[in-house]
Amino acid sequence: GLVQSCGHIIPESPVLALGSNFTALCILNESCLDFGNIYASQIIWKMKNKVVPKEQYREINITVSSVTFNDTSSLASPLTCNVLADGQIEQNIYGISVTVGLPPEKPENLSCIVYQLSNLRYPMNCTWNPGRHTFLDTHFRLKYRWSRESFPDCIPKSVNNSCTISDVQFFVNLEVWVEAANALGKAESDRLVFDPIEIVKPLPPHNLSVNSGILPTVLKLSWENRISAAVMKLKFNIRYRISSDTNWMQVPPEDTASPRTSFSIQGLRPYTEYVFSIRCMKEDGVGFWSDWSEEKVGVTTED
Amino acid sequence: AQRHSQQDSHIQYERVGADVTMKCGSMDWDAAVTWTANGTDIDDSHLNGSYLILKNVDLTQSGQYSCYEGSSWHLKYQTNLRVGVPPKEPVLMCRSNNYPKGFYCSWHLPSPTYIPNSFNISVIHGTREMVCEKDIFPKNRCHIRYLQLFSTVKYKVTLTVTNALGKNSTTLTFDEFAIVKPDPPESVVAKPVPNNPRRLEVSWQNPSSWPDPESFPLKFFLRYRPLILDQWQHVELSDGTSHTITDAYAGKEYIIQVAAKDNDIGTWSDWSVAVHATPWTEEPKHLTTEIQIIGETLTQHKPLALRGPGYGDPSAGGVW
Amino acid sequence: LGAGQSIQKTYDLTRYLEHQLRTLAGTYLNYLGPPFNEPDFNPPRLARAERLPSATVDLDLWRGLTDNARLAANYRAYSRLLKYLRGLDSQVGTVELRHRLGHFCSSLQGLVLSIAGVMSSLGYPLPAGPAGPPPSSGTPAAPNDFLKKMDDFWLLKELQTWLWRSAKDFNRLKKKVPPAVVTLRIEARGF
Repeated sequence: GLVQSCGHIIPESPVLALGSNFTALCILNESCLDFGNIYASQIIWKMKNKVVPKEQYREINITVSSVTFNDTSSLASPLTCNVLADGQIEQNIYGISVTVGLPPEKPENLSCIVYQLSNLRYPMNCTWNPGRHTFLDTHFRLKYRWSRESFPDCIPKSVNNSCTISDVQFFVNLEVWVEAANALGKAESDRLVFDPIEIVKPLPPHNLSVNSGILPTVLKLSWENRISAAVMKLKFNIRYRISSDTNWMQVPPEDTASPRTSFSIQGLRPYTEYVFSIRCMKEDGVGFWSDWSEEKVGVTTED
Repeated sequence: AQRHSQQDSHIQYERVGADVTMKCGSMDWDAAVTWTANGTDIDDSHLNGSYLILKNVDLTQSGQYSCYEGSSWHLKYQTNLRVGVPPKEPVLMCRSNNYPKGFYCSWHLPSPTYIPNSFNISVIHGTREMVCEKDIFPKNRCHIRYLQLFSTVKYKVTLTVTNALGKNSTTLTFDEFAIVKPDPPESVVAKPVPNNPRRLEVSWQNPSSWPDPESFPLKFFLRYRPLILDQWQHVELSDGTSHTITDAYAGKEYIIQVAAKDNDIGTWSDWSVAVHATPWTEEPKHLTTEIQIIGETLTQHKPLALRGPGYGDPSAGGVW
Repeated sequence: LGAGQSIQKTYDLTRYLEHQLRTLAGTYLNYLGPPFNEPDFNPPRLARAERLPSATVDLDLWRGLTDNARLAANYRAYSRLLKYLRGLDSQVGTVELRHRLGHFCSSLQGLVLSIAGVMSSLGYPLPAGPAGPPPSSGTPAAPNDFLKKMDDFWLLKELQTWLWRSAKDFNRLKKKVPPAVVTLRIEARGF
């Protein structure tokens, strides 16, 4: 007949650190002793369906048997406690699933960028190195706070090495760090303290226009900036090439190192079609260059 | 319609287009009299008995009218006729060019009345009436000292203009910040930058009327263009009183102006006085007998417009 | 952060808030609809709106304010204005406006904290609590929608005015406390 719940194993469904040692106990119920004629000495430990060598057993008392593994790397699920009963039929008493893994490592290389989406929306994306694979269900949280106020954690979606905070505030220092946690422990990255205004990647200027003037060697490039001066003052790079050529030339950066919305490019060839593109970043060089803008074509007048 | 003329002892004001009747003092209607205008006899067609009738008067008929008794030439009546119009709604403007000291209001009439007018201005801030101290010059202007700053209560300024023929008024209601408009920057100077054919250094000073640039900093707008072009280029500058133009056309004369605005409130000033400057250009070499030397020099030397690789001439190999 | 740096940052934040409010106020007043979005609208300021912290100050008094008093006045004002603003924030109908109001509230909260940071970096105690009774107690909510909108109108106007004043306040402080000044260490938990 089926043996009614004759015992149980502790710990129940443990999560174990890879490479550590582990002992489990199989505890028989008193009732099992009385009529089942079953004793701890008869217990057979099995992993999956493989018998665990008897040297790893120890009879604690007549109702408790332990099994010890010096290195959990060899462990496999399920770990079962069984006995030979009634004519040597092996009967399962209890089983547990064993999870083996690693505690999370300290997340490294935390870095963040504020990507301008529009003139009012500035999400911040942070990335980090999550560290080794832990073989366990490991949760990462991007945590951030002001000196006297915390914000809800940013929970990564379907990845474990980045998270995007939908809207950041400028001009207030933010403390940011990553917390990794699983059943075996928790780890925190180093903490970054910065003002989000210092890590902005602005949108490139747009609505470019190129005007040829009276002089055949000059074209004036005009554009609209997409970030307000109240947020940041910009500097620019302007590059240009002859349409039929692949080599870009660039206006000396020191000539476009202050806020502006136009620039006259000189020394061009008369009656030639040029392609222009521009990018921008914070005037003091703190932060990231925007992508290059859409290209715009202009033609110098005849000589 | 005949109006009974308003009259003080010497001056009589009448509207343009009015019909004017003058009695010769106490003389009867049928008395023989002579009327003169500025000393010139008026012909009898204008007389009705001893009354002088002036139809649809116009400005030219302003002057001194006298009536003499026919035989004795005794002066029986004299008046100074002033033909004019009642005042139209005055144009009133209030502005703070010396924030936060105060603001001034100035006014003018959209069209002349040809007769004397008197102006009265009242300034109300919430429930408080403020004094508008008349300026000696210009005449139609007075100034108000701010007692409080950063007020959300609007100012209400009412100007009433009165003359003998009528009265009119204008009321302005405004916020403290809306009328802040500095005077243009002063001492604007533009200079070429030696060895830089595309640069011009522009400097200026805060308008002297702006009392406290330290606490109330100004920002500036610079516009510049070569004389050969009509279109300006603009640059907004939020601190400092100088800027280097880096894309000036080599060798072309430039016209430059600057405007100012409080860093946070109000509107831009008018443009400053325009200054002119031409970027630095390389001195032409001496045309001596060594022309061939110059010739060789020119072939090695890059064309003037270029300044280092990658700026303008693709053959310079300026690969980005 | 040194005192000079945190004052500069607070100044930048004030101007950033003023920039945000310039478009946000217009959008919100359009949301309230006429007459609130008409340029010359000049409603009376009723009891509730009178409770808003007023930026109005006597010119000579303002000039003569000590740094501590200047900062404390700002701290109290924005602490209270933030409470009022959060009352505005919850019932706004459009998602975009709600997002922008939420962002603005967060920015304003940042300003309150920044001012607190400046005060502690200069060794000044934070004001015990905002001067005057908390916004809601003692005065019944606006009996009707129009009066509620009028309160909102005055809140935005007072806030705009405070930001203009604060820009001048912090600009003045900036000039008095150059960035390099060595300041008291902020207490351990802070950074």
